[in-house]
Amino acid sequence: MRIPFLLLAVLPCAVLAQNTDWTAVNLAATDAHVIPAYERFASASAALKTTGEGFCAQVDADSLADLREAFNISFDAWQGVQHIQFGPITYFNWNYRVQFWPDDNGTGARQLTALIAAADPAVLEAETFARQSVGVQGFPALERLLFEDGALELLQKEPYRCQVVEAITANLGDIANGVYRQWVDEFRNTVANADERGFFESAEDATIDFLKALVESIRRVQQQKLESVLGDNQAAARARRAEAWRSDRSIQNLQTNVLALHQLFDGGEPPLKSVLLEEDWPAIDASFEALLATMDTLPSSMNEALTTAEGYAALKAARDGLDSLYETIEAALKKTDLYLGFNSLDGD
Amino acid sequence: MRFSRRELLGAALALAAGPAFGGSFKSSRSAGLFLSAASTKDDTHWVKGLRWQGDSLVQEFALPLPERGHHVEVHPDGRHFVMVARRPGTWLVLGDAEKGELLEVLRVPEDRHLFGHGVFTADGRHFYTTESDFEDLTGDSGLIVEWRVDLSEGFKLLREREFRSYGVGPHELLLMPDQDVIAIANGGIRTHPANDRENLNIDTMVPSLAYIDRHTGALLEQHFLPEEWRQASIRHFDVDAAGQIAFGMQFEGEPWMDVPLVGTHRRGEELRLLTAPQPLQGQMKQYVGSVRYAADGKSFVSSCPIGNMLVFWDAQTGEVLDSIRSRDGCGVCAIEQGYFFSAGTGRLAWYEPATRTVHEFETGPELDLLWDNHLSRV
Repeated sequence: MRIPFLLLAVLPCAVLAQNTDWTAVNLAATDAHVIPAYERFASASAALKTTGEGFCAQVDADSLADLREAFNISFDAWQGVQHIQFGPITYFNWNYRVQFWPDDNGTGARQLTALIAAADPAVLEAETFARQSVGVQGFPALERLLFEDGALELLQKEPYRCQVVEAITANLGDIANGVYRQWVDEFRNTVANADERGFFESAEDATIDFLKALVESIRRVQQQKLESVLGDNQAAARARRAEAWRSDRSIQNLQTNVLALHQLFDGGEPPLKSVLLEEDWPAIDASFEALLATMDTLPSSMNEALTTAEGYAALKAARDGLDSLYETIEAALKKTDLYLGFNSLDGD
Repeated sequence: MRFSRRELLGAALALAAGPAFGGSFKSSRSAGLFLSAASTKDDTHWVKGLRWQGDSLVQEFALPLPERGHHVEVHPDGRHFVMVARRPGTWLVLGDAEKGELLEVLRVPEDRHLFGHGVFTADGRHFYTTESDFEDLTGDSGLIVEWRVDLSEGFKLLREREFRSYGVGPHELLLMPDQDVIAIANGGIRTHPANDRENLNIDTMVPSLAYIDRHTGALLEQHFLPEEWRQASIRHFDVDAAGQIAFGMQFEGEPWMDVPLVGTHRRGEELRLLTAPQPLQGQMKQYVGSVRYAADGKSFVSSCPIGNMLVFWDAQTGEVLDSIRSRDGCGVCAIEQGYFFSAGTGRLAWYEPATRTVHEFETGPELDLLWDNHLSRV
């Protein structure tokens, strides 16, 4: 079928598309959600770095407790922004350096063991350490060193092991600050000027990155943080596939993730959800509310929850809540012109 | 559509006299058409013929496909084409671009599947596809299949013989300028129709670039990647008039690894692997979709549909010349003025290296499609 040129000229897609101020949506998400979340991550990680400095001078139960506390606050802040998978976090492998997970092949553990066995002090210099394997640079390695069985004795007995802790905390502080500064100094501007065709194709193109951060993260949390742990039934559950089983804060991570995703969806003015048809908001809001309620009822320890029928059922309900939220948003997206991927989905 | 007035004006000026397509075509009505596979959001699949008119692209024809297609190969007569099924598909759709007609749907034998690519010899007498003998688990299941082209009544392809690709998962293949040698990218990945598109041998894959005598099937030269990048699947490439190959890879290993995704090769030499400066290299997301030289052969483009970019490289020095955003952008082909490109978002545009600007095409709703991986030009 051929359409006469004149007809084409009066029917550009822009006229058919929704009447959305994409830039306003993007900046609202940036200013109300992304930048504050990175600011929290940067400040918590700066505190982690400070607590880590001089840790090895006196390793005892108190100093280890202090460092674990700083780790928890920084890891919490990371969980609040982990879903932002575009922009500066993709620079310099920062994403994987902060947290290389899931690590199905045990790469991180292997490399951490090798690093400690080699015990080369030069490797721990900030710039050199930043070039080491991602598996030794971030939260999973730090969690192992701070929470493994006999951590205190090991850190007291092995000075190098302790110095690795200092190197990781400093590294996380530097990366968190780097990502935050890049958003404030550069990438916010890139988002604000997306229609000028610098980095983005258009402001709508930038909106799709925010939407992907929401939609793909819901799936990722469901699949990686719950399904891979839950298995087909309670007997098949694999507690050690949980994101943070050593510090037993996997459920806290989930709760933080869902709160952050909800804030990305509904925070800011205009909120990200305004790119969807208004008739679809109530169903998504209800789905979010149900999921948040389910999250509130979860016990605090995933390690324990997996050992009881009630705990397992509660985690299964959280998994179902994520799935239904994903489906509800997908259905709403299908009614718009927004399309999150085609060639990029399964490749060839 | 996404375009600024400034760019529209630029495009209008550049094209005031219409696009200046060079070369001589035997079929004037289909000359200059762009062909690509595309899908609709509700999962219907098409091969579309597009004509460039002013600053618009208009649909010249649309033919339905059984499933998603991959590459369209145009016969040197400038009229007939073959749309090849995406792996692990089993069909070839033969068409007539001049009449906009579907001629025939061919099937490969039951124990074979295609990889989405095929190529005609310059004399138009033969057509070659990459296929898998998927029950052969010896690690050498890749095949090149030779078809004879029969133009005596219409346009027919006759399956003639098979020879080895010297690898697993052969993907794109092209004729070298001498027309005697076929270059082939053995992606290294085993697929089986029973497992759809699942990659079955990621831990043991051995991708390679091979040069094969198309008359005898003899392996003339074969190049492998260093062990640390063994999981970089060489999948797509282009060859320039002097026989230099530019290839792109898709990495199946750890997501954080800093892996070259592009390279060049001249026969008799080692592979030259290229990396872009950071943070660009990291943003390519370990995945290159298509590779095509510019018309003058001085540069080539690699499309990165996962990284949402096109990256332009100097063909001689191997340096990055430029990169542009192209969400889910994969299809690329050379035009006189630069590069024409398409995307899974429905975007159709062209990039002008001289001014480093992107020009968007205006299109009607019938072209608001999810454009598939590869673009061809009649």
